[in-house]
Parts: sequence; structure tokens; C-alpha cells
Amino acid sequence: MAYKPQFYPGKTSVAQNRKKFMDPSYKLEKLRSLSDDDVVIMLGHRAPGSAYKSSHPPLKEGGEPDDPIRKLVEPTPGASAGDRIRYCQFTDSMFYAPAVPYVRSWMAATRYRGVDPGTLSGRQIIEGRERDIEKITKELMESEVFDCARSGLRGCTVHGHSLRLNENGMMFDMLQRVVLDKNGNVYAVKDQVGDPLDRKVNLGKPMSDADLKKRTTIYFIGGVPARSDAEMVGWVQRIHNERTKCGFAPKL
Amino acid sequence: MSVKETQKRFIKAMKKKFAGQEPTSTTTVYKYEGYTQNKRKVEFKKAGDAIAKKRGISAYNPMVHIGGIPLGQRQLTPYVVSGTDVVCEGDDLHFVNNAAMQQFWDEIRRTVIVGLDVAHATLEKRLGKTVTPETISNYLAVLNHAMPGAAVVQEHMCETNPGLVDDCYVKVFTGDDELADSIDKQYVLDINKAFPKDQAAQLKKAVGKSLWQAVHIPTTVVRTCDGGTTSRWSAMQIGMSFIDAYKMCAGEAAVADLAFAAKHAALVEMADILPARRARGPNEPGGLSFGFLADIVQTNRKYPDDPCKSSLEVVASGCMLYDQIWLGSYMSGGVGFTQYATAAYTDDILDDFTYYGYDYAKGKYKIPTKPTMDIVNDLGTEVTLYGIEQYEKYPTTLEDHFGGSQRATVLAAASGVTCALATGNSNAGLSGWYMSMYLHKEAWGRLGFFGFDLQDQCGATNVFSCRSDEGAIDELRGPNYPNYAMNVGHQGGYAGIAGAAHYGRGDAWTASPLLKICFADKNLAFDFTEPRKEFARGAIREFMPAGERTLVIPAK
Repeated sequence: MAYKPQFYPGKTSVAQNRKKFMDPSYKLEKLRSLSDDDVVIMLGHRAPGSAYKSSHPPLKEGGEPDDPIRKLVEPTPGASAGDRIRYCQFTDSMFYAPAVPYVRSWMAATRYRGVDPGTLSGRQIIEGRERDIEKITKELMESEVFDCARSGLRGCTVHGHSLRLNENGMMFDMLQRVVLDKNGNVYAVKDQVGDPLDRKVNLGKPMSDADLKKRTTIYFIGGVPARSDAEMVGWVQRIHNERTKCGFAPKL
Repeated sequence: MSVKETQKRFIKAMKKKFAGQEPTSTTTVYKYEGYTQNKRKVEFKKAGDAIAKKRGISAYNPMVHIGGIPLGQRQLTPYVVSGTDVVCEGDDLHFVNNAAMQQFWDEIRRTVIVGLDVAHATLEKRLGKTVTPETISNYLAVLNHAMPGAAVVQEHMCETNPGLVDDCYVKVFTGDDELADSIDKQYVLDINKAFPKDQAAQLKKAVGKSLWQAVHIPTTVVRTCDGGTTSRWSAMQIGMSFIDAYKMCAGEAAVADLAFAAKHAALVEMADILPARRARGPNEPGGLSFGFLADIVQTNRKYPDDPCKSSLEVVASGCMLYDQIWLGSYMSGGVGFTQYATAAYTDDILDDFTYYGYDYAKGKYKIPTKPTMDIVNDLGTEVTLYGIEQYEKYPTTLEDHFGGSQRATVLAAASGVTCALATGNSNAGLSGWYMSMYLHKEAWGRLGFFGFDLQDQCGATNVFSCRSDEGAIDELRGPNYPNYAMNVGHQGGYAGIAGAAHYGRGDAWTASPLLKICFADKNLAFDFTEPRKEFARGAIREFMPAGERTLVIPAK
């Protein structure tokens, strides 16, 4: 019997969104278009058009030893070229941002290769080869997992995920890397670590509250409370039971 | 499952903290004011400028943050110390700025308990001396002269200034009322007076007729040396005092027996030594078991009918000692640890969740109830869901506990303490802790920092195992327990859970009756019946510590 991943328990919209985002066969809905250079300047790792810095020669030039695993696993473009390791890191507001850190990490694990996701409460980082990271960042920022008011590309001083929102609905950012203009568009004006950009990047309009609550992956009382998803709670209790009882008693 | 409305103990704190703002509001106006909005930071800036000018090397300067944008762009809020009305700045709860916190640890580090039975047997059986209550009182008079660093027997010695070591003394305790009554009162820890009747009866039965010394060497000594000094300093002065009080020959072989008793055979230290990779001597925080800390905290003898408060005081003590001082300074550095730890003892948030859990347990079960997985899952789930709903309904609490590690600590501690209180079983409490961590992570899709992915995901597997390489009962676990050795925001909770299991069923002590009695002492500089109140007094600069050097330094 072929294994069919179920990704997540529960029938609520939050559970369904988590399933969708983790399922690599689901095509993320594209909400905005960003140029490659837009992404490069927001990441702040290199100047647009400049060569990628490398930490080793291209694999084809490296005289790699014969190895069956190397034949099985195709290197990512960044690994193949010898790119250095860089990162993208996102902060998601608890007030109904589309993504939550664990969903981002689970997505990274199911959708991308050659990445090292790290999960914290106020930020989620993906490390990988530079050109791979640029591609991943572009896909994530253009898609429905990113809202320009409640999600943020933040390399440091990420403080804000659990703070009350600004009056205009924007997530707090002490470095004010993005600004909401009078026409309702959000512009990135600084890179991940707060260095001012030479030109601002239009990230479009924030999602409406209704849209956020429809797309969000956080259980939260104004949307889908955790208490209401009995299937999810039941699975957590089952996992807790089994880890506890079977920890040092594998026969169980 | 239905949500009960409880007292919402945190509302008062939220109103003080976010003055004039509605605790349920999801939005606010950020003014991006920087450090100038906070009087303590302004004080620091002024001090930093003066230091830089005086020494010619730059010092504290909040303007060096990225791009010259000073930290403090959000609202810098004060804190209410839980269980008190004291409002202070967060900086006042950093242990460097808080003399009460320093003294809390100094009191423990400078304490050892030394049995007298072995020494008395040596004196009586080996040397044919007579030991009576009168000779014991005389010995204690000699010892209280010598212990602070004064000479007996030896001529022409260099002694310590009594004004610098006035916090040093020795008392004795026993479960034998008749013996206790016959020793000079100034030297006796009176169990009958210090404890409620039922607790006193339990303690006296446990101690029996044996006689113990509660030794507190000078604070200034352990500050200059370390916790490993305490038993050595104590044993030397005990040995000299025996020679003096019982008119022994200073060099006779029996002295070695007395020294061995004081240094090893009859010695109870507060904390074990640590392995080489953490390399600390005895009486350092990394070796202080959770059960011992729960015994050192004395709230349960002052408030025997409020097991929640007793547990919360232990959580606060553990968070301060283990997070702020042990992990935050001995093992690491920086400023994050205080912020983690304070979440568990400020703004009455953990208090609200814990009292809710206890009320829920009492309403649903006849407690103490059996420690079954079903009950642990029920209590852990309910308390966690209640807690996250409060954070969601009152976004100011979410802003207050702005990091996931803070919230994880508070939610899991409330769940664990509830389970321990309800079952009287500390490992059931640990199980409630892990249940909370799992559910919290799934509900919000986030937990704490990386460390929470380690111990809080694998901890359940050893929660009911007691074999030495697999687990231990919570009372005997400590900061150096393998999974616990690196992770801030947990150890205070585990200590509170250990205590809660015993407070819930009316036990007089958690792991050691000796420690419980030793710290039931009004002469200590720190009042262990009310740690949070003492920390608050330290925060507002009303706490007077011991071991100050004013007598021997130039006046400012």
C-alpha cells in the first residue's frame, strides 16, 4: 500500500490551510509579483547583478569521488555552483498572519530541497545556498503565505509577532522596514537587517481581515479557537500518551 | 469543555502596565520614543555618559543599535511583581540591580547543615566526655563566636571584623522537644513555633532525636570564594569550637573524627558538585535539586491553606535562581534570561492560570486524585487552552509576554503545577507540563526558541521512568539533569511542580525535612516565606542585604 501523506489532522479552516501549505502538490496562490532584483535588495545579501560569492568551486570542477549517494541526489543549483550559505527569515504576527513558524518549517521540509529551517516563536529562518534562497524567498513573498502587513522579512530585531498591531493594522517593527502609504500600499524601504534601500519595493495592499482569517494557519479566538478543533486536540493528546507510555517501553 | 470565567488576576497589572489602555484592545499607537520614555533607562544613560567621561572609555549607550535607532521603540512598560502591589522597571529585576535576589542566592550558598550526633558519639564513646544540654549550649556560644571568623584556642590570630560578618551564626534543631527545650533558646530553631501543628508533627517525627546544626557562614566569604567554601569554613570552626568547648587536645587523633563528621559524614550540603564539563563545587546553583529548592522556600508553612501561592513562590524562586543566576550568568551571559524569567513572577498572569487550574481540578475531581494519563491530559489540556485564550482575549498580556518561551513557561508551569497539586504526584505534574507544550505548539504553530524543540518534545518519554540513566522523580531532578541543563524558562517550573505535589497533599516538606527546618529562620537576611515580596523590595531598593563592605572602604 502506497503511503499517502495526510499532513495534518482536523477539519477546521486552520487545519485545512496547514495541510495545503505543507502539501507540495498544492500550488500556492500567487498574490503579487516581485522582480528578482526586488527580492535581492530586500534580502540584502548581495547587490543586484553582482556575482554570487562562493564557498567552494562548482561541484563539476571539484573532482568529487565516486559515490552512489551523489548519483542519487541531484545538487540544488546553489549547491552545484558552490554558493555560500545565506538565509531568509520571516516574522508572522499572531493576529491572523497567513503563516506560523512551524508551518513555514514544515513547508520548507516538504517543498524545498537543500534547506535548513529553524523555528522560533517570533521568527522562522531558512538557510540554504544563496541562489536557492532567493528563489524560495520570491515564491514565499509572492504567495498567499505572505501578507505585507502581518508578515515581515526580518533578519534581526524581529520583535513584534505578539505585540498589538499598529492603528493602521501593521505589525510592529522597531526598524520600520516597511511602510503603509496613503494609498493603502505597503512598501519595503529597508532590507532584512534594517539598511535603507536605494529604491522602495511595492508589496501591494494588505489582506482584509476576512481574507486573513480565511487563510490563516493560527488557531486564535477571533477566528478558529484551538478548543474548537477536537480532532487536533485529540491527536495531540494521543501523541502525548504514546510518547509518555512508550518512551522507555518500546514493547508497548 | 467549557470555559469558566475566573478572577482574571492579571487585569489590575495590565491596567497599571499599559496605563489608560484597554487590556482587550488589539491595536495601539506606537510612538517610537526610544529609551527616553523610561526613567531607569534615562538614569542608565546618564550614568553611562558620566562613566565614559571619567574613565575615557565609552560605556552604556543605547544609541549604538542598528542605524542609530535606539532600542525601546515600542512602549517600555513597568512590571507588577506578582502577589504584591509593587510596580518596578524590568531592569530592577535583573539580579545585578536587585540586592534581594543576590541575597536569596547568598543565603543558600552560605548554608550547610551538620549533624551533631556523630560528633557527640565520638566525644562520649571515644573520649569519655559528658555531653549535656549545658555543654551543647556552651559549645554553641563558642561556635557563634568562631564561625564568623574569630579565634579560639589559637593565640595571636587575625580575625574578621564582626560588623562585616554579622549575618553569620549557627542554630540547632531536633525532633526531640525535651532536648530542644533544654538548650539555650537563642540557638534553637523552634519547630513548634515556626510550623503549623500538623507540619511540625511531621517534621519532628522525621528528624527524631537527632540534633542538627544549621550553619550560615558570612555572605562576604561565599561572595569572595564560592559555595564549596561553606563546608570547609564551617568544619574548621566547628572543629576548633569542639576543642575549646570540650577541652580537647588540639592535636589528638579524635579531632580528625570530628573534622570528618563536619566535612563529610554528618554534612548535608544544599547542592551537589557538578561534573567536569560544568565544573562547579558543591553549594553552587547547578547542583541544587528541585526538591531542595522547594524545601528552602518557606511559603507553605506561612500559608498552609494556599498551595497555589506556595507553588508560585517556588516557581518565582527557581526562575530567578536557575534562569537568571545559573543559566543566565554562570552558564551564559547577556540580558535575555531576566526577561524570560520575570514572565513567571510578574503581572499575575501565571497566578491567574494556576488558580484557574486548581479550581478546575477541585471542581471536577476529588483531590488528591489518581495520577492517570486521562486526568493529566484533561488538566493539562484545559489549563493550556484557558491560558492561550486569555492571551488571545487580552492582547496586552500577549504583548507583555512577547516571546514564545515566556508564554510556554507560563502555560506549562500552570498546567504542571495544576496536575501536581491535583494528584500529589510530581511526575504527573511533569507530564502535565509536556502535555501543555505539545498543545501550545500546535495551537499557535510556535513554541519557544530552539531549545523547546529539544527537551519539551522528548521530555515526555522519560517522565515516568526512574531508572538512573532514564529519569528520576522530579524532586531529585535538578538543573543538571541531562535534558534540563541548557534550557532557560523551565527549571523554576519544575521546582514549583515538585513542591506542588507535596503542598497539594499537605506534606510539611518536599525532599528534605532538614532543609525545610533550616530555612525556617527569622534571622536570615532574606525572608524565604515571601520570595516575590522580597524580590519586589529589592527592586524598589528597600531590601537590606548582608555582607556589605561599608566598614572597610572609603565613604562616598
